[in-house]
Amino acid sequence: MDKLVIAGKEFDSRLLVGTGKFASCEIMAEALEASGAEIVTVALRRVDICRKASPGGENKNDDTLRAIDVKRYLLLPNTSGARDAEEAVRLSKLARAATGINWVKLEVTPDPYYLLPDPVETLKAAEILVKDGFVVLPYINADPILSKRLQDVGTATVMPLGSPIGSNQGLKTRSALEIIIEQANVPVIVDAGLGLPSHAAEAMEMGADAVLVNTAIATAAEPNQMATAFKLAVEAGRMAYKAGAAAASKRASASSPLTGFLRDNKQEK
Amino acid sequence: MISTQKHTGEVNSSDIVRAMNSPAGSYSPEKLQALISPAAEDYLEEMAQTARQLTIQRFGKTIRLYAPLYLSNYCVNNCLYCGFNKDNKYQRRRLTIEQAVEEADIIASEGFRDILLVSSEDRESISVDYLCELAGRLRGKFSSISIEVYQMTTEEYAKLFAAGIEGVTLYQETYDRDVYRKYHPAGPKADYDHRLSAADSIAQAGMREIGIGALLGLSDWRLETLSLGEHAHYLMKRYWKSRVSLSFPRLRPAKNVDRTQFSFLSDKNLVQMIVALRLCFADAGMVLSTRERAELRDHLIEVGVTKVSAGSKTSPGGYSQSRNAADSTHSTDSGQAGSPQAEQFEIDDTRSPAEVAGMIRARGFEPVWKDWDSAFAKR
Amino acid sequence: MRECFFNFGEVKMEALKINGVEKQFPAGQLPSTVAKLLEVLDIEGATAAAEIDGEIIDREKFAETKLRNGQSIELVRFVGGG
Repeated sequence: MDKLVIAGKEFDSRLLVGTGKFASCEIMAEALEASGAEIVTVALRRVDICRKASPGGENKNDDTLRAIDVKRYLLLPNTSGARDAEEAVRLSKLARAATGINWVKLEVTPDPYYLLPDPVETLKAAEILVKDGFVVLPYINADPILSKRLQDVGTATVMPLGSPIGSNQGLKTRSALEIIIEQANVPVIVDAGLGLPSHAAEAMEMGADAVLVNTAIATAAEPNQMATAFKLAVEAGRMAYKAGAAAASKRASASSPLTGFLRDNKQEK
Repeated sequence: MISTQKHTGEVNSSDIVRAMNSPAGSYSPEKLQALISPAAEDYLEEMAQTARQLTIQRFGKTIRLYAPLYLSNYCVNNCLYCGFNKDNKYQRRRLTIEQAVEEADIIASEGFRDILLVSSEDRESISVDYLCELAGRLRGKFSSISIEVYQMTTEEYAKLFAAGIEGVTLYQETYDRDVYRKYHPAGPKADYDHRLSAADSIAQAGMREIGIGALLGLSDWRLETLSLGEHAHYLMKRYWKSRVSLSFPRLRPAKNVDRTQFSFLSDKNLVQMIVALRLCFADAGMVLSTRERAELRDHLIEVGVTKVSAGSKTSPGGYSQSRNAADSTHSTDSGQAGSPQAEQFEIDDTRSPAEVAGMIRARGFEPVWKDWDSAFAKR
Repeated sequence: MRECFFNFGEVKMEALKINGVEKQFPAGQLPSTVAKLLEVLDIEGATAAAEIDGEIIDREKFAETKLRNGQSIELVRFVGGG
């Protein structure tokens, strides 16, 4: 299968997985393994300094990262929680200081209900971060013009949503995604709202370069199996795209003939 | 620039069907190749129907009108196919600003608000400053001023843009490197890559419209079409704020030009080319000049062409001369020698703008003289 | 009248503002470096990030970056997220 290339790095897997919402670190780690993902997203949160150790000895500050083999996965910090460009830039720099990785999934979501991304602050932050040497993967609504503007400032990908985070509604933004994919000069990663493996396959069949899935895997009854299902769906969708699917017929129904005059016409120059 | 996966002769019917079923207006080299293949001729009617629908969806039931204003036919180039070739002996003329404005007034009186300033490679007289000055004079009369002249630098294009010119047309002439070399042996046009880079300069200067095309007949039309497709696709992706327009200048007889060395394409080929490109590029403007005969133009506006010229005069001063000749009270001696001015190519559709507009309406389209008001632009 | 020249029972305190919350330490017991602070708070250093008075500290420098009374510190760490 052809490789996904982001900022010069090659990947075999076109399925990115988020690490949130899992019941436990162990379940998360197993699901990641089953998914075949090579890039996983993580978030940044303030350390809880007032915690008391629970009776069971559980540490509330239990590190997600302890469960992830950082040599195996590329950790992609996201700036979720940031409500404006300044906060997003700050979080990005903190993440870079902590890991040495300069990749960031830029997520600026001031709206706490639907967690929809703010286009203005995202573009602002993207420009600052790119200039500061970050590899920026911006999460956006499926806005073709915003996609072009972000590519112009130098982001490594665009990540348009299929439907709001956690809604599992699939590709509600399909028409806009088609335009984004057609016009893109960078990889397009469909992120958010992919609730079923068939949604992921659909995105890949349309020509998306990759997808990111979190909620659908983390909250499934059997995350392991769901992760495997998504893995297979992404591979199948990509294969179908490369094989040149014969799309459903959209051909015109004939009205009056438009080229008849060519037959009648003896004069050819 | 392009290497075709398989020769168009090897395209089979399932390739064509797949190409036709793909989303209308989506492009891939394989799709274009299938649509222009000899085998696709059997599907021409169906392709034409889809092309028509797609064009109407994107452009409405409208056809834009423009007129060319030839400023000079002095030329330093020696392009072997052109009537203005410097070795050809004919009467040369270039217009002063005042004469150009006089021509433009006649054009405007016919209803045009979209004008194309044309010149041969005559940098000395039709300089950047000349064009800026002329644009300044014409800005009040025309809502859109474009040029089709010799190749310039990005800085020069930017200057013209600031002066009120918003579109530039420049043909690669042929995308076939060997043929290009053969027909442009020396002079400013001799460098193929430099010529190819013109569209980038035009876009980088901020121009709203970029016109490209090949002179059909210099080389194999299928090769030109595939190259044109790649070029258009590249420009659309990279310069997403400009509109790309495609032109289809078909080599036509001209005085003093040897016809035997060219491979003329048939009407059917031309229709197939236009329709195939439309099916790949939903938003590209498609321009047809009065080089083509009336009947063909009438049919082509139904299947993808979106902009046509009318009543064109392709020699400098041609509009005034024609008016003077028509008006018998004027003296026939307007200061030029008795023989008519050399034209770049023979016109075949000699209908007046009003007649062409009437034809457009008769076919259920609205003739649009003014597409957008550049008065709203900030410059 | 008794004059008191010192208050019995009052110990001098130092403080750091951590994640917006003031945390007091008896004088002399303020964690001397970022690394020490993380130890005191029982936070895994490998996955935390720190910012002191608005300036981000690289992880390699945790052991050598000294802390002073009154500084404002942001400590963040990686958690699961989409």
